[in-house]
Amino acid sequence: MRKVGIAGVGHTKFGRSEVSLVDMLALAALEALDDAGIRTGRRHGVDQVFVASMGAGILNRQSSVASALVDTLNLQPAMAETVENGPASGASAVKLGYMAIASGMCDVALVVGGELMRVVTGWEATDFVATMLHPDAEYAYGLTLPAFAGMFTRLYMDKYGVTEKDLAMVAVKNHEHAMHNPVAHIQLVPSFHAIIEDEDAPVINPYVAEPLRVYDVCPVSDGAAAVVLCAMDLADRFRKKPVRIAGIGQATDTHVVAEREVPTDLLAVRLAAQRAYAMAGLKPEDIDVAELHDAFTILEIAISEEAGLFPKGEGHLAVRRGETRVGGRIPINTSGGLKAKGHPLGATGVSQIVELVRQLRGEAGGRQVEGARHGLAVNFGGFGNNVVATILSKEE
Amino acid sequence: MEPGMYAYRCTACGKLFHPARAVCRECGGREFEAVPLEGEGTLLTYTRVYALPEGYMKPWLGFGIVEFPNGVRVSGQMNTEDLAVGMKVRATVGTVKEGVGRDYYGFIFEKAAQA
Repeated sequence: MRKVGIAGVGHTKFGRSEVSLVDMLALAALEALDDAGIRTGRRHGVDQVFVASMGAGILNRQSSVASALVDTLNLQPAMAETVENGPASGASAVKLGYMAIASGMCDVALVVGGELMRVVTGWEATDFVATMLHPDAEYAYGLTLPAFAGMFTRLYMDKYGVTEKDLAMVAVKNHEHAMHNPVAHIQLVPSFHAIIEDEDAPVINPYVAEPLRVYDVCPVSDGAAAVVLCAMDLADRFRKKPVRIAGIGQATDTHVVAEREVPTDLLAVRLAAQRAYAMAGLKPEDIDVAELHDAFTILEIAISEEAGLFPKGEGHLAVRRGETRVGGRIPINTSGGLKAKGHPLGATGVSQIVELVRQLRGEAGGRQVEGARHGLAVNFGGFGNNVVATILSKEE
Repeated sequence: MEPGMYAYRCTACGKLFHPARAVCRECGGREFEAVPLEGEGTLLTYTRVYALPEGYMKPWLGFGIVEFPNGVRVSGQMNTEDLAVGMKVRATVGTVKEGVGRDYYGFIFEKAAQA
């Protein structure tokens, strides 16, 4: 198999888009093409386009988004597909781009993820996201992703001693990181005292799905992110030295959350990470920076454990010791994470990769992890029933 | 017809599933028989949700995961405010969502009567 790298990255400001879904995707794509030094127009050299979107059909009443993006960017006759894998659509699209190049089928692939979510009300958005659950055994009950996250959190608290304060520490950390990321949706840091200790904390930071509060849950955001993938043997065609995709792992678990034998385990995260480490020939100790799918604060803790960065049940202790902040032993969610950067579903997996590329290139500004060589991203679909882990390595 | 809730037992190896599957995870069998899921179970975890999806005209709703004595675990709505992990609950079947032209039924758990 050919080695595959990332030659360019692009990212819109997450939050509220003033333009249509396809125009928003095009903004991220053009930034990535420019970053790679790829010309647009008749001799563009893009062989394949993958677009990750979970909700274009439901939220925007638009299908075949990849074809529409090719048209807007005039990338014909590039091959094009839209990829849907729930909130893990982004990492799945990067995986497919990797496969397209590694197989020898093409040399250059443009992968764009995006979601235009703020065109619907909050309860419509909540309903849309819940459509990934089991239709009869979960969705029909009014169960949602926050509901499962709340029930998971209660089990985690009882078993491992995680507290609401630990969760608030994750939120404040990620908001602090986002202050150094100009494309993050939320550009303010909540006061730890106000959201968890103050007597008015239940008003400032009310429960959404007990024991999770507003500040434990990601916002609803519009946004797009893009990467240009290339064969490493063509690296000298591009403006910057490509960052190598060292490993990709993916795994599924039971769709029905209640069926899981140990309800505090996230087996698909564990297996996806193990597969990515094996492919990369790396160990968790080698990882210098990680973007983990913190749609809910508890997930950052649980994923950090399942990905082997900390022993099971001890992720919250690392948070307390400050090990997961920039400057700590293993900084997590330097971009601000889903919590503060935002979570436009189809964009998220690509956005995580964009952040790792910026870290490994040394372009992360005030949130830079010094000397970072290996980065891990975990993109979490369903309530952990379809998970993609990706490891990037800096080429020496 | 009064709606009922069922687990599905693999006729080859006896493994129980809820909801129904096409293939048994344990043995690969493809034939199942319906087994009523009723009576008391144990509440494993629960939440109260204040941000309900479209279609629910309620300020909040309780949800839980319950284990039946036969080991089958299911999600359901909770029809009691007095919730604790490990408590005994009784399964009832009711309307869990009102749809256009049809309602959806499923588990609504109540606090079990004291023994």
